[in-house]
Amino acid sequence: MMKISDLADNTGEWLRGTGPESDIVISSRIRLARNVAKYPFLSRANAKQKKELEELIRTKIEEAEVYPTLNYINLSELSSVDRLFLVERHLISKEHAEGEKERGVAFEKSENISVMVNEEDHIRIQVIRSGLELRETWKTIDDIDNKLERKINYAYSSQFGYLTACPTNVGTGMRASVMLHLPALGMTHHIEKVFNAVMKLGLVVRGLYGEGTQVSGDLYQISNQFTLGKSETEIIEIIEGVIPRITSYERMARKALISESREQLEDRVWRSYGMLKVARMISSEEIMHLLSQVRMGVNLGIINDIKMKTLNELFILTLPGHLQKLEGRELTSSQRNIIRALYVRKRLEKIETLKG
Amino acid sequence: MKCESCNKKYATVHLTEIVGNVKKERHLCEECAQSVNTQIAKVPSPTEILTNLINQVAPGINELSKIICPVCGLSYLEFRSHGRLGCPMDYTVFRKGLIPLLEKMHGSVQHVGKVPSRAGKELIKKNELMQLRNELNKAIEKEDYERAAELRDKIYEISGDNDENK
Ligand SMILES: [Zn+2]
Ligand SMILES: [Zn+2]
Repeated sequence: MMKISDLADNTGEWLRGTGPESDIVISSRIRLARNVAKYPFLSRANAKQKKELEELIRTKIEEAEVYPTLNYINLSELSSVDRLFLVERHLISKEHAEGEKERGVAFEKSENISVMVNEEDHIRIQVIRSGLELRETWKTIDDIDNKLERKINYAYSSQFGYLTACPTNVGTGMRASVMLHLPALGMTHHIEKVFNAVMKLGLVVRGLYGEGTQVSGDLYQISNQFTLGKSETEIIEIIEGVIPRITSYERMARKALISESREQLEDRVWRSYGMLKVARMISSEEIMHLLSQVRMGVNLGIINDIKMKTLNELFILTLPGHLQKLEGRELTSSQRNIIRALYVRKRLEKIETLKG
Repeated sequence: MKCESCNKKYATVHLTEIVGNVKKERHLCEECAQSVNTQIAKVPSPTEILTNLINQVAPGINELSKIICPVCGLSYLEFRSHGRLGCPMDYTVFRKGLIPLLEKMHGSVQHVGKVPSRAGKELIKKNELMQLRNELNKAIEKEDYERAAELRDKIYEISGDNDENK
């Protein structure tokens, strides 16, 4: 069996910073909610049924050969730090980490694909890719879903589609989302306009870790609100149609910042970069803010000795679960702030040395 | 930048809140941030939105409140307070309450999109299921719980993957 610590040194492929619009679009993600027929949803399932479901789905995932190298981890056997680590990696959801009894996750080595077992629904399939790649992402997840469907009898009705524990997911059971980095729209206070436009299209804006989370590091997730009445491809087309408008809006805002207040902008970016290199304690909120500024600086060519991939990764690698995994023990918030500053400093020093 | 709450320490925490459509920024020191964190208006969770919606659209509560799913035992009232359904059959059992809710939530009550390849067999099962449900109701009326349990298990076996528009 694989260990969580095997993952700690790398990050998922979706953080590579490649793909269309990847200066602004960090990643594209689709998840499908599915339930097994003949079983109650998890909130009404007893321990025995949960165990049966876990076994059944785990076995069927293997049989379906969804992907040759899926690793399965039983979450009930993991420590809370390990579960937090998987949440930060976007391999499982917060709810799944905090769930009870038998549950698990199967995921592929590149971390593009994960299948959550016994989350809010019996099955949650997820595929993530770097950049704006919703169509490709849909192809992959559709294929995985078809393979699983050959082995598992899904709860489905011709009127309501895929039946889910929460009526907000019924129908396609699909949530397609795109993670965007929008610092200039935030700085120029134009982000509200984006929210308004997006809401009119039946889309919602959320923070980095989805439902109910705070926005930090100028990272936003835009996803579909409706799952019933529109097909999967229609929903994807709506999102794919609006994202280029938001990214060009962000680019315009960046240009305006440069032409109107180049010095202030450069100062902000360089101060943030400097802070990352010298600070001895950095809180998790502060680092998001600093990384966001530096990331924009790299996109604008103000800073050019740091790779996009490194920055994208640092957003994840400096999160509490990752730092505790790195240190191999639980840390208090102020201990984490010290380790976080140290870790970032080392990563950036390495870049300096490489440069020679 | 000084913390906007205590005005003494440096602001190291930069929060962005979305309240309705409005984005608000707050710059705080870590201590103040921890103490205000609980007061910051949260983006309502889907569950909160859902329970709100349920309360808005639920028609004729009295009539619906008596309904209990014979398969999983969830009552309509429990669904209303938690926003989670208990089993695939609930979409049929609570249909009357769900239709206006789904209409408001999604702007539609008809799935358009992917169909599992095995969905064809469903029509046959649909009839079988309707019969079983009638039998189950009769068994409950007669207080024959052993028979009811048997029927319930059978219904489980074929429910969920069915086309059951009543
Ligand atoms: Zn303060
Ligand atoms: Zn039920």
